[in-house]
Amino acid sequence: MQVHPEPEGLYSHQIAHLFFILSMAILVFWLRKRELIREPGWRLIQWGCVMFIVWNAAAFIGHAVEAEMTEESFAGRGWSRVFIVQAVISPLIYLLLKMDHLTCVPAILFLYLGLRKIKQRAQAP
Amino acid sequence: MSSPIHIPMAPIYVVDILGATLMILLSALCVSIARGLRRGNPENLLWTYLLWLSFGLFIFSMSRSGSHLVKYVLLALDLDQAWIQIRPITGSLNSLSFVLVGAITLFFSQVYAMYQQVGQDKALIQRAHREILELNANLERMVAERTRELSASEEKYRRLFEGSRDMVFICDGSGKLLDINQAGWQLLGAQEKEQLLGQNLLQRLLPADNQGNLLGRLQDRDFVSDLEVILRREGAEDSIGLLAVTVRRSEAGGPERIEGILKDISSRRWMERQLLQADKLASLGQLSAGVAHEINNPLGLILGYCQLLLRDLDPQGQLAQDLKVIEKHAVHCKRIVEDLLKFSRSSGTTKTRQDLNGLLLEVLAVVKGKFQVERIRVVEELALDLPRLTVDTDKMKQVFMNLIMNARQSITGEGTITVRTLLSKSKDKVLVSFQDTGCGIPAEILHRIFDPFFTTKPVGVGTGLGLSVSYGIVRDHEGEIRVETALGKGSIFTVELPVEAQG
Repeated sequence: MQVHPEPEGLYSHQIAHLFFILSMAILVFWLRKRELIREPGWRLIQWGCVMFIVWNAAAFIGHAVEAEMTEESFAGRGWSRVFIVQAVISPLIYLLLKMDHLTCVPAILFLYLGLRKIKQRAQAP
Repeated sequence: MSSPIHIPMAPIYVVDILGATLMILLSALCVSIARGLRRGNPENLLWTYLLWLSFGLFIFSMSRSGSHLVKYVLLALDLDQAWIQIRPITGSLNSLSFVLVGAITLFFSQVYAMYQQVGQDKALIQRAHREILELNANLERMVAERTRELSASEEKYRRLFEGSRDMVFICDGSGKLLDINQAGWQLLGAQEKEQLLGQNLLQRLLPADNQGNLLGRLQDRDFVSDLEVILRREGAEDSIGLLAVTVRRSEAGGPERIEGILKDISSRRWMERQLLQADKLASLGQLSAGVAHEINNPLGLILGYCQLLLRDLDPQGQLAQDLKVIEKHAVHCKRIVEDLLKFSRSSGTTKTRQDLNGLLLEVLAVVKGKFQVERIRVVEELALDLPRLTVDTDKMKQVFMNLIMNARQSITGEGTITVRTLLSKSKDKVLVSFQDTGCGIPAEILHRIFDPFFTTKPVGVGTGLGLSVSYGIVRDHEGEIRVETALGKGSIFTVELPVEAQG
């Protein structure tokens, strides 16, 4: 039986992110190839996919950065917890990446708007 | 080395919580819209795919954002250790949800290909359906057109059938009537067609040549044309018709349908007989005139010499008696000759304007007394509006006398003679009729009654010239004599004299 030490979970998760990126990219490819993006609804869905790709990429990098950090990078607990910036660039990137909802929410928002548009057109007489 | 900067994590946590909440909310809305789309058209594969994708993203949102929210709740409750323990689980679930969404997404190309195929198939089916509808409509149009043509044809032949003045009929192989036109059932004396349907018509059509019945003749012949038949009618005299019949045979060879046309030629036959009669009488008239003229002169000489000899002889002597016998018979012959001349219209006439009623009354006055004794009642029905006609008084009186005496002689025992005069509806003829209640005239001698010397009386009782002479006199006045008779019931002789021709 194979042993699964600690890093395996992170690797699986990262691979899942890559798979997510790949599948979204393929979807974008087909949407364009089939020329569905001529329709506003599908065009919005395409943008949703792009945003998911961005989010996945950000999450992937964020996880990688986070893996490099130790408990010494933080102080305090709960809502009063603080991040102790040791270097100049890498920790700032970490903060930005930590706020991944800035890409994730627009992605699902595009998807929602796209579906709504498709439904409107489908119900149009 | 510079001192480290402390950045609070709280703003990041706030963004995280808000973002997670929005993710769950928006993904739930996506599911709702996708379900609405699919409900609108459950057969649309693309909408089904979008529903799967929305479900996948909802699971992804619930897994990821849900775990984030749980984390903050645990941290707020100071349960950091608990979060540390469940974090690997939520992380794994997140990974699975990514794979799920990714896997669903990868199916898009196949789903879309199927969607397109279904769309193409549907378009093909719709086109085929449209073509079938067009074919059907075309077929219906053709059927309607053909039906119209058939109706027009049926109407045309029905009009021809019903409108024909001749009898047109269809019988089955045994001669039972299947259909007949109006002229046909009227000719047969029926009140309506249904009265005759099912009856054997061929049994009522008797070939006039008496050479076997009609059905027998049709056994080995496919048609019969111009066959003269006697038509038995209901409640009326028989008619004479000209028949044309076609036989349609079954596969076995027997008659299956018998279709025919019968032309009623009774009227034509009557006319032909009348013409024949007139022709015959005209020829007889010419012959009679020739004979009478040739005999008249010798008779005159015989009578003259007889009278000369008688003047010089003793009236009581044997020779004188013999000469008187010769004279008597010569006078009789002369009277016959005179009658023949009247019949042939060769005798002289003196026409004056006369009142026919007056002439009739004069003649009746002569015979009334005798008839009264013989119990013969005379009824006079004389029209008062008769115009005066130009006639030879003596000859016309002779006609009336002949006809009255004929009527009397046809009655055995008691009887009635009705004498009528009337002006025709068109006011161009005066009709004088003599109706008796006598024995009537048999059909077989009816066509001979105007022939000279034809008589039914015993030899010596009549000369057979009465009706011939009357016929000749009436013709000489440009008139006609008509006879209607019923055996055992009596006869009506009607003299028709034209008004205009009389001036």
